[in-house]
This record gives sequence, C-alpha cells and structure tokens, in this order.
Amino acid sequence: MAKTKVAGTILFILALTIFLFSMENVTAADINSEFSYIFGKIQDAQLQPVKGVKVSLVSGTDLEYETLSSALTQEDGSYAINVPIPIPEQSKLLFSRHHFEQTINNIPAADIEQLQLGNSVSFPLITIEREITPAFWIAASIFVIVLFLIATGFLHNTLAAFAGTSAILAISYLGSPLLPDLYIFDFPQAVTYIDWNVIFLIMGMMMVIAVVENTGIFHWLSYHAYRISGGKMIILLPVLMLITGISSAFLDNVTTMLLMTPITVQIALALNISPLVLLIPEVFASNVIGVSTLIGTPTNILIGSFGNITFNDFLTNLTPGVFMAFLGLIIYSWLTYRKELTGEKAGSPLLLEKLEERGKITNPENLKKAGWIGAGMMLLFVFGEKVHLLPSVTALIGASALLIWIRPDIEEMIGAVDWTTLVFFMSLFIVVGAIQEVGLISAIATVIGKLIGENLLLAMIVVTWFSAVLSMVIANIPFTAAMLPVIAYLTLIIPGAESKVLFYCLSVGAALGGNGSLIGASANMITAGIAERAGYKISYKYFLKKGLPALIITVSISLVWLFIRFT
Amino acid sequence: MSGILCAIRGGPSSRPTIATSIQLAQETGEVIYYLYVVNLDFLTHSSSSKTNNISQEIHDMGEFILLSAQEQASEAGAQAEGVIREGHVVEEIITYCEEQSPRYVILGRPEEEGEDNLLSIERLQTFADRINEVCQAQVIFSSEKDLPPEEELK
Repeated sequence: MAKTKVAGTILFILALTIFLFSMENVTAADINSEFSYIFGKIQDAQLQPVKGVKVSLVSGTDLEYETLSSALTQEDGSYAINVPIPIPEQSKLLFSRHHFEQTINNIPAADIEQLQLGNSVSFPLITIEREITPAFWIAASIFVIVLFLIATGFLHNTLAAFAGTSAILAISYLGSPLLPDLYIFDFPQAVTYIDWNVIFLIMGMMMVIAVVENTGIFHWLSYHAYRISGGKMIILLPVLMLITGISSAFLDNVTTMLLMTPITVQIALALNISPLVLLIPEVFASNVIGVSTLIGTPTNILIGSFGNITFNDFLTNLTPGVFMAFLGLIIYSWLTYRKELTGEKAGSPLLLEKLEERGKITNPENLKKAGWIGAGMMLLFVFGEKVHLLPSVTALIGASALLIWIRPDIEEMIGAVDWTTLVFFMSLFIVVGAIQEVGLISAIATVIGKLIGENLLLAMIVVTWFSAVLSMVIANIPFTAAMLPVIAYLTLIIPGAESKVLFYCLSVGAALGGNGSLIGASANMITAGIAERAGYKISYKYFLKKGLPALIITVSISLVWLFIRFT
Repeated sequence: MSGILCAIRGGPSSRPTIATSIQLAQETGEVIYYLYVVNLDFLTHSSSSKTNNISQEIHDMGEFILLSAQEQASEAGAQAEGVIREGHVVEEIITYCEEQSPRYVILGRPEEEGEDNLLSIERLQTFADRINEVCQAQVIFSSEKDLPPEEELK
C-alpha cells in the first residue's frame, strides 16, 4: 500500500515536471516566433535606477497614441518590452511614472529595421527628470512636521512617525481620486521602503540585550571599576567611560545609559561627589564609542544596511578613529571636571558597603550562556560576510539560540522587545520613502552635489559637519535615513568616494553630533531624566556648555582619521 | 500622629529639607521618615519596554539617596527611616499623610520662581493647606537660606 503511494507520488511529480517543461518550451517558442524585444535601463538625474517606470511601445501622432505593448522597470531600472511584428514605422517609447516627467523617445530607423527582422535591440540608457507636483510639497511638509513633533516632544517619536505614515497613505488613497497629483505612493510600494534587515537586526539584538541586562553585569563592572580605582578619580573616570563606551558598542546607547546612570549616581553618592562629573563624560563616551561598530547605534545599522557596509568594514575603517576620539574625550573630560575630580575620594562606609553588596552578578548561569552566544555572534558578524550572512540573520540566530538555551518565559522575552522602537523605524522608513519617492531627496542631493563638486575632501568635511550640526537639533535617526540616498549619490559622482568614506562621515557626524546638545541623542535625555530623579538637573545650557567642545574635539579627531585612512 | 515626613530626591535641592528635618528631629525627638518617589514619567518619550528594569534601577538609586540622608541624620543623633514609593511625588506625599498621619511635613521652598523645586512658590501654600486638611500635620518650609553651614550638617 505504502509502495503504491510512493510510486504514485513519483509519477505525479514526473508528470508535473514534464508538463511544466513542455509549457515553458511552448512559451519560449511562442516568444521567439512572434516577438522581438527592446531592452534598456532607466535612471534618474542622480544616476540611480528607477523602479516601476511604465515603458510603453506606442505608435501614432503626438496627440493620439496607440499602445502596442508595455512593461515596468525592475529594481535595477531595467526593462524588456516585447515588440509585436510587424512594428509600425513611427513607433516610439513612452516612459511614464508618478513624480517624473513623461518622456517620449523615437525608436531609430535602424532599430526598427532590426526589430522587423525579429531581432531584439538594446535602447540607450534613459535619464528621466523629476516633476514637482503637489504631492512633493505634501510629503515634504509631512516629513518636516514629523521632525518637528519629534524634536519638540509634542508627540511620542513613534506616534509622530506613525501619524506621518498614515497621513501620507491617506492622502495618496483618498486625495488622488480628486486630484491625481496628490498621489505619493500606494501601500505595497510604501512597504518596499522598509528595510527589514534593520528591523530584524534591532529585534534580535533587543532579545539578547534583555537577557544580558538582567544578569547584574553592569553593577558588577561598575563596582569593580570603583574597586580597581581605589577611589582615585583619575582611574575611575576613564574606566567608567570605557565600560559605558564598550557596552554602547554592542548594546544600544539608551539601554546602556538606562543601566549605567543609576549605578553611576550610586557610586558618586558613595564617594560624595556630584554624579554629573561622571555621568556627562559617560554619556559622551556612549555616543562616541557606540559608533565604532555596525550594531552600536541605530544610525550605523541604517548606514550599514543601506551602504552594504559590513561589521568588519566598520571595525577596520572607523573603530581606530573612534578610539582616538575617545582618548581626546577622556582628556577633555578630565580637564573639564578636574576641580571636582582631583584627589582620592574617601566615601561613606555605609554606602560603599551597599555598593559592594549590589556589585554582584545576579544570574551567573544566564550571563555565561549569553557570553558564549555573544562570542558566537561576534564570530558570525566578523566572518559571516564571507558567506553573505546578513547582520539581521546573525542577530536572529543568536537571539533564538540564546532563548532556546536559557528557556525564559517567552512572553516576557517578547515583551522585552521594544516594539515601540520597531514601529517607529517602520513608520519612519515609509515617511522617508515618501520624500524619496516624490523627489525631495533627489533635489537635496543635486544641490549638495553642485555645491561640493568633485572635491572629496570638501565632501567629507561638509557631510561630517553638516550631519553633526543637524544631529544636535534634530533626531539623528530620521536625519540619517533621509541622508542615505544623498550620500549614495555623492558616492557615485565624487571621484574617490567609492570607498564609501562618505557613509563613514555620515556615521561620525550623526552619532557624535548627539553630544552637542541635550536633545541630540536619546541617551542624553535618558541620562538627564534619571539624574534629575537623583536631584541633579542637567539643563540644556549646561549640556551645551560641556557638550559642544566634546563634539568639536571628537568629530575633528574622527575626521582626521578618515582623511588619513581614505585619502 | 508622630514622625517627620521629609520627601527628598537627592542632590543640592534636598540639602535644606534634610538639614531642617534633622534640626526638627533634634528639637522634638521625632523620627524622620525620608520619602523617595520613583517616577518614570521621563520615559514617556523613549523605550517603553524598559520600564520594568529601569523602575528597579531607580528604586535602588532611591534607596541609596535615602541611605545617604539617613546617614546624615544618624551622624547628627537623629533617628531616620527611608520609605520608597512609586508614582507622582505630590500624590504620594498626600497618600503617605493619609496613611501615617505624620506630625510634621517638611517641604522645600524655592527662593525664587523658576528654581528647581517640586512645586512653584504659588502652588506650595495650596499644597501645604491640602496636607494640613488631610492629616493636620504642621507643614514646615525650608529653603537654601535656612541651610546651616556645611560643617554643622556633618
């Protein structure tokens, strides 16, 4: 009975295979006998391939066309349009897409001749021009409003981006039937702008972090930093900065500061010093060293995914410069707080005893397992690129391996994933996708491209400092997401930029710029929030006074490193 | 009715209230109850899923702040205990007053408007009246100018 079933299945598969092969042959034969093809590629003014352009083969007068056949361009801007034979002598190719000017090109007589003979022809590369429609202004306004809402804190980041997405889609769907020029994009197209590599990488890392942060490792490290220093601030300050920085290179900065700030406040109280003299340098270190790895900051994750920059690329091209900047930061921090930090601090015995009591690993078993998995993930991040392993896949493998190994309450673990942040990213991708779709990014890219010309050094300076200054006042994640296509354009047009150096400049500017103002980075706000809970207010003015020189020092050093490395 | 309720959040702004509470405890022999309120409102605009963890961390930090105040009181010969609650400071002070009926409540008073303080000068008196209404406690205001010299605190 079983044998009959197996034989039946094999026969069915064979029959299906033969049928499909025969179908394919028939189709191919049909194509060969009845059509020839026109192949070609379409790009925009920024030399980027344009997907979704409707290419129509038409014949007729300028006023009235008859469409003979049509096709859509693919991801790489290519198209293949079939040509019915015989083809009318006056045939043309019509290129149309939302947010681009309609373009008509005559097919040369020589090509028509070839097509009539049944041969396929290749059409020259077509560059189509942007068209500014009301949708352009609407998408641009929504983007600016979202940035404003995030910067002012009037709406939660996620709510602001989510509302922006809804507005864009609502206008596209409800407005375009009344006025077609209001169309921005449809839902399926909007979703293609979401970078799932970024989403899954962040999600995987959040699960791993959720396990690590509950092991007491931060308390242990901080207490031992105090113990090693023996109360000598010249040792304690850099060690705490290093712990915070290294943690930020692998965890996100907000999580690091959420965990480090309360512990640092306790150390400072135990030593009878103002917590601010430790907290401010720590948050600077978090923002600086966080940028040294692909997974250290959301902006690096965005840059890595968009620019196809690997974990190793960041390590070799950026990490040394970042650590040089960190050295500069240590010196600056010491000089800034030298009055408060000079000498050995004899703390309160009662509080120091409490500090020691808390400075213990609370879950050694999980820490050990997380350590092994973390090491495995690092190996995959470093060597995985040889098999084109995406960082998101590494993060997912690591997270699932860890969860299977420690078997936590899965509800709790899923709850530990910051869905708010993930929804923020997804919504943001769509909002940025909208301004990309309508051509705002292209317009910015063109202006910057014209200003910079072909000077790589100037481009590096402009990108780095422009990003740093803007990141002081606007949220660096949407800014970076919007800048990526601009950087891609500059990388194409500036000789020498193919090393992707401008992406590193964006990374440095966007992340280190966060040190320049209190609102420049989420980690700053978190640190200020917790410090205020301990009675130590970090005002905007205070942060600016301490942060601006830190920004100038660290960005300058990093930029010098990038000059040395890439020019 | 017994005890001195002194809500603190650490830092320079709590120094006058701690000093006043110690002075009052020395004069009356009452036990000081230092209250620290864990408030996570600042997380509204960021990582909401971290609330559980950070709540514990701030709780631990609050314990440290309370221990520090208790140590100062103990060194001055006053008896002090620490109380930690979670929520909004104003509401938690009222709740504590309702539950424990302290004899005295010490509130920090800003020297001038805009100074870092729980309540504005204007709203402080209204709040004191409310406390008095709830538990008939005597409300004492303390400010930076009431602060004894550093040596005296130690």
